[in-house]
Amino acid sequence: MSAAETVPTPTAPTAAVPRKKAARRRPSTGVLAAGTWLAVVALAALLLPLLPGFDPLHGDFANPAAAPGPGHWLGTDAAGRDVLQRTVAGARASFTVAGLTIAVGLLGGGALGVAAGWFRGPVDKVIGFATDLLMSVPTLILVMIAVSLRGPSLSLIGALIGLFTVPHFTRVVRAVVLSLSERGFVQAARMIGTPPLRILRREVVPHVAPAALTFAFTATTVAIVAEGSLSFLGFGLRPPEPSWGGIIAEGRTTLGSAPWISLAPATVLCLTVLALNYLGEQLRSKGGRG
Amino acid sequence: MTPAALRTAGRTAARLGRAAAVLLLVTVAALSLPHLMPGSPALAALGPTATPEQVAAYEAKLGLDENVLAATWRWLGDALHGDLGHSLSTGVSVTTELADRVPVTLELFVAAQVVALGLALPVALWSAWRPGGAVDRIATAGAFVWLAVPGFVLGLLLIWFTAVQLRILPATGWTPFTEDPLENLRHLVLPALTLGLTEAAVFTRTLRGQLLDTLDQTYVAAARSRGMGTVRLLLRRTLRPSSLPLVTLIGIGIGTSLGGSVLVETLFAVPGVGTWVSGAINGRDFPVVQGVVVVSAVAVVAATFAVDLLYRTIDPRIADERR
Repeated sequence: MSAAETVPTPTAPTAAVPRKKAARRRPSTGVLAAGTWLAVVALAALLLPLLPGFDPLHGDFANPAAAPGPGHWLGTDAAGRDVLQRTVAGARASFTVAGLTIAVGLLGGGALGVAAGWFRGPVDKVIGFATDLLMSVPTLILVMIAVSLRGPSLSLIGALIGLFTVPHFTRVVRAVVLSLSERGFVQAARMIGTPPLRILRREVVPHVAPAALTFAFTATTVAIVAEGSLSFLGFGLRPPEPSWGGIIAEGRTTLGSAPWISLAPATVLCLTVLALNYLGEQLRSKGGRG
Repeated sequence: MTPAALRTAGRTAARLGRAAAVLLLVTVAALSLPHLMPGSPALAALGPTATPEQVAAYEAKLGLDENVLAATWRWLGDALHGDLGHSLSTGVSVTTELADRVPVTLELFVAAQVVALGLALPVALWSAWRPGGAVDRIATAGAFVWLAVPGFVLGLLLIWFTAVQLRILPATGWTPFTEDPLENLRHLVLPALTLGLTEAAVFTRTLRGQLLDTLDQTYVAAARSRGMGTVRLLLRRTLRPSSLPLVTLIGIGIGTSLGGSVLVETLFAVPGVGTWVSGAINGRDFPVVQGVVVVSAVAVVAATFAVDLLYRTIDPRIADERR
């Protein structure tokens, strides 16, 4: 195909062999820190909204734009709403979008990648054409158009961002499948007459999964950043519904007097993306050298 | 023609055909956008008091009165004559407005590349010169952390720091270069830094990895054994073959910059293609949106093509390889 193929986004570890021994080693401090942070954010997003008194839309009008302190740990925004509560609620929006993105990307890209790498020839050509098509349209603009025409909803945003990650998943998976089909155990399975679907299920999918899951970390960060960007541009959830990009955008006007309104959710967003990148990178280096 | 030349020509023709097919489908998709809107776009735009004649005129303007393929055919015919339609809100020709705004977006893109390369080249070369050294470790870790900062957050931080805290640069706005070059530069700094700093992290990581890979090649070892020092080796023998992924990144970047600059342009109120299309989407200005989507796809496809050709110039070995 073309030069676009060398775009270094998804570098697939070629046929990662699952290693049993490495899994028993103690995880490093970095992995622990990244995992803990993600767990804290996820648990907060899941559990805090169950607490009585949790209302990210409630404005404490006596304390607008209050600095971080007791009562409001991360301060309040211009309408007196608690920034911490809004950030936690925003995490739900981000994680919902990310979950959908991965579901669509993994399923779509996984199926297409396996098909392209397994059947090659015309099937590969058609799938390659489809990925070229998807990659030539301006992604953000298209999602903005869809949101403006159909109204903002997390499912629409997640599904569309997922659709645009499909070409990348496809490439990662296709590369692994291509290299696998040359390998001895797959050829042996073929030679003794194993039905193709069984080879796919027993031999190919287990080897493709690590690469695809590793890329899922990247896709998650892409989804979180894209959702943030959309909300920031006003094409995400309608205010006052909280989302990270939305809260950050709302704090823009008071950046001089109350910087925490933007900076608190921005910090949480960056740390989350950093943690996901780090875990993905660790997985990648393990798988690649396995 | 030699058989090899024939093969190259055949492959090029096949790829051109494929590119044309991609663009045709993007055009069809762009022109079917109004159809995707729930309800009647005409009534939504004109209001419930519109007369049937007004509705018919509006639909004719958008090509809603014919099927999508016929509309695409007509649109493509006009486009080949340089006519991309007229904005529904201002009535200005899309072609004219694009000609005004593309240079702004491209200027921003070029400035961003200067920032990104200015940082990435020396840092990556230094890292590859002393891998595992202090500079390398700081740069690698720094680039990794930096990658986690999305463009809109970085832009916001830059505004907060330079415009709110230090008050040295204008936060938003634009002055054309032809009017006042110095003011133009002052307005360019923050958006270019926002785009460029993010890219610098990607560039550094890519180039460093590629440089180290190239340094492992046998011909580099041969040059080393002849007594060539690492610095000369890096600059003379390694940089050029290692720059291919970077060329790809920048080349594809030119293509995607038209559609991808929405965020930075909106944040800093730069009157480029991005702010325009963002406003057009909000205002349901379909001809503008369609024009930008198609032109942006053309740019991506053309950039991909150009990068491929450039590859062969930078690394002649590629021309001989067959897929």
